[in-house]
Amino acid sequence: MRRCCSISLAISLLYAVALGESRPHYGGTLRVAVKEAPASIDPGGTAGASFLASFVFETLVRLDDRGMPQPHLATSWQAESGDQRWRIFLRSGVTFSDAARLDAATVAASLRAANADWKVMAAGDAVIIETASPRPALPAELALMSNAVARHENAKAIGTGPFLISQFDPGKHLSLKANDQYWNGRPFLDAVEIELGKNYREQSALFDLGKTDVIEIAPENIHRAEAAGRTVLSSRPFALMALAFAEPPKSADESHARNALAMSIDRTAINHVVVQDGGEPTGALLPNWLSGYGFVFPAGKNSEAARREKLLARRVTPWTLRYDAGDPVSRVIAERIQLNVRDVGLTIQLAISGASDLNLLEISPLSADARVQLRELASALGLPAPKLAGSSAADLYAAEKALLETQQVIPLLHLKSAVSVRANVHRWNSSASGEWRVEDVWLSAEKP
Amino acid sequence: MFSPLARWVGFVLALCIFPQASFSADWHQLTDQLAPKITAVTGPGVVALEIENHSSISAADVEQVRSELKSALSTAGIKIWQPDQASATIRITLSENLQNYVWVAEIQQAAEERSLLIVSAPRPASSVGGQNARPLTLQATRLISRAEPILDVAVIEGNPRRLLVLGRDSVTIYEFTANRWLQGQSVAITHDKPMPRDPRGRIFLRKDHLFDLYLPGVGCRSGNAWPLTMNCTASDDPWSLAAGPLQSAPESGSLEPGLSVFFSPARNFFTGALVPGIGKQKSAPPFYSAAPVPRDKYVLWLFAGIDGQLHILDGINQQNAPKIEWGSEIASVHTACRSGWEVLATLPGDPGQDTIQVFEFPDRGPVEVSQKIELPGDLTALWAGQNSESAAAVVRNNETGNYEAMLLNLTCN
Repeated sequence: MRRCCSISLAISLLYAVALGESRPHYGGTLRVAVKEAPASIDPGGTAGASFLASFVFETLVRLDDRGMPQPHLATSWQAESGDQRWRIFLRSGVTFSDAARLDAATVAASLRAANADWKVMAAGDAVIIETASPRPALPAELALMSNAVARHENAKAIGTGPFLISQFDPGKHLSLKANDQYWNGRPFLDAVEIELGKNYREQSALFDLGKTDVIEIAPENIHRAEAAGRTVLSSRPFALMALAFAEPPKSADESHARNALAMSIDRTAINHVVVQDGGEPTGALLPNWLSGYGFVFPAGKNSEAARREKLLARRVTPWTLRYDAGDPVSRVIAERIQLNVRDVGLTIQLAISGASDLNLLEISPLSADARVQLRELASALGLPAPKLAGSSAADLYAAEKALLETQQVIPLLHLKSAVSVRANVHRWNSSASGEWRVEDVWLSAEKP
Repeated sequence: MFSPLARWVGFVLALCIFPQASFSADWHQLTDQLAPKITAVTGPGVVALEIENHSSISAADVEQVRSELKSALSTAGIKIWQPDQASATIRITLSENLQNYVWVAEIQQAAEERSLLIVSAPRPASSVGGQNARPLTLQATRLISRAEPILDVAVIEGNPRRLLVLGRDSVTIYEFTANRWLQGQSVAITHDKPMPRDPRGRIFLRKDHLFDLYLPGVGCRSGNAWPLTMNCTASDDPWSLAAGPLQSAPESGSLEPGLSVFFSPARNFFTGALVPGIGKQKSAPPFYSAAPVPRDKYVLWLFAGIDGQLHILDGINQQNAPKIEWGSEIASVHTACRSGWEVLATLPGDPGQDTIQVFEFPDRGPVEVSQKIELPGDLTALWAGQNSESAAAVVRNNETGNYEAMLLNLTCN
């Protein structure tokens, strides 16, 4: 049995906002434009948790920059029964934005709704989570936005977070205002206005016209934006771009053909030419900075080995590759893959709709805990849940290798994510998994 | 006896040295894991060894790893030799992830399939070095360091000497015993409302009782004896700012016995409403901090406004000084040299690395009287001491994440 973490550490991290250079200013409205166009901000929504949910809803645990779980709405936790039963102690004095107190019953109901296979019970000032198999990474799982605590009242989700929704036009616009009673200190901003569903070009135009303060920058435009003198804050390469097969190989021939496909793709050229070095070529599901061993999965083009594999595949049916028609970069990458495989004697037909054999996907990162991220990737790719024998790097490697050996996924790139912010936006911050932390952001008067 | 004052240079160097010392590498844990695994694959014999570093460790550490691995393999009967005379090639990549060092050994033995071994061990929390120190006459006496935020500190003379440390939710007493501050009693402070996101607080020592505490929306009054008792209530009463220097001011009759200012309870600044006022002036622009500079017949008050400007009040006139680019933290300290009153001010600089400098205010403009000093992190609090001879400062150390409370004094060259 172990008990983890302290309240003090969380507080010290959360309150490190003062600068002698200039203390944060209160007030102002932050204007943001994003590509995502969610129909709901509810973290338990059917479409999955939007990253915008973190403005309004909070998790029991947060991961720090090293991917270590830190207390948030929970103050501590302890594992029992070989990591199959967890007791999570809740912070007192937390209220929802409608002034209702956060209690164990509400948290248990919220977690039950998000995790049908968990047994969650309220027990005094704690909740008890029981799982069918050991979950050593459960504290890190609790940091996923899909596990954020929401209380539902009249079909409306209410959170404990730093902002509350003042107006939501699904897919178009989200207006947030500061939660004056936020348990962790009212945010410095008065309001946040978020334009939803704006592609990168539209976001850039809004920024140039002075109509927005923060925009997303596509990986391929990071260097260009920096060269243009914009303040660009970019992450480590994390989002996975991969080819995903709908089904496992049905024959040895197909298995050889998939090997040939994986070896024939020139990831370096795709990263350099198409993505403008806005990512890193990879043969792994997890980026090397997260796993430490990612480099052992080959990412280079090996035409000779690919041809040998192709020769072993005596009968090969052409594949159909579907890509996101709304993303011109996806189209160019799909066309390059088509050319690469042709060099080794394989055929791919491109499609933008309908059934396909394989899809070109980009999967946003969800967790800076390698075990949880691997599990989430497997889920997003339709692969079986990884089996982790332990928590060591060797155990993680074995689990990731097993997923890759299903031959249902061919990793291509890990992409950076980036934002451009105006000079008057201070303390812009995001978590290691890319979640925006806007509660510490403050605005100064923009100098002419 | 209180610990001797350390020169700032010493203080800064100390902060730099401690994290590096704790980072001194011990690679045995990894070499002891890896060597037996390699031996189990290759058995005794002659192998070629390549080591490639993909991690943040230094070249010297890589050499240390090479030496320790060679030694461990040699003990197991494996001899390292040239590749053309070796029965196996071992390529070891020193890598890392967010929490661990990860070493990967790829072993190629003749026609056999490549074997892959992975071992890992925790990385230290920080491996970043410090910055250069500069010699200055600004002296810092480090008091305590802790993970929880510190809003203000004050030393109460006596036997034993006591240090009051104000946090968000408590005041803690430390006693100076055996040349160190030992933690003693801690008294909780209750809040009816959430504290602001950038919490501030002030300890004000009193003569008829031990002290008053000012926090956003909360006021506390201590008892007048030890052990400490304290009564806290919801309060928006004005905060005493700087009674000390004014109480010892010239007998011109123009000085106030003390100055109090209303604090905005849900924010991080003073509203500017002055009690009783500065001469005829009853208000200043909203501000983060203030510094009195006593003159012969009046006191010049400097206010670091929330508009980023310095505002100067002399009891009759108010002057804005937009060209003075100071930060939000200022405090004045009395010295036995120069003009007698120096102003400590933070300066614009890199985020996360505050800079402080000492100024005199001979007329209506500042004159630099010290070099700029880079602090080891963000300055989160700076309050003038009530003896006027020092200022209490709190820095959040970038390396450790801890809040470091210190007393700042100025000495004459």
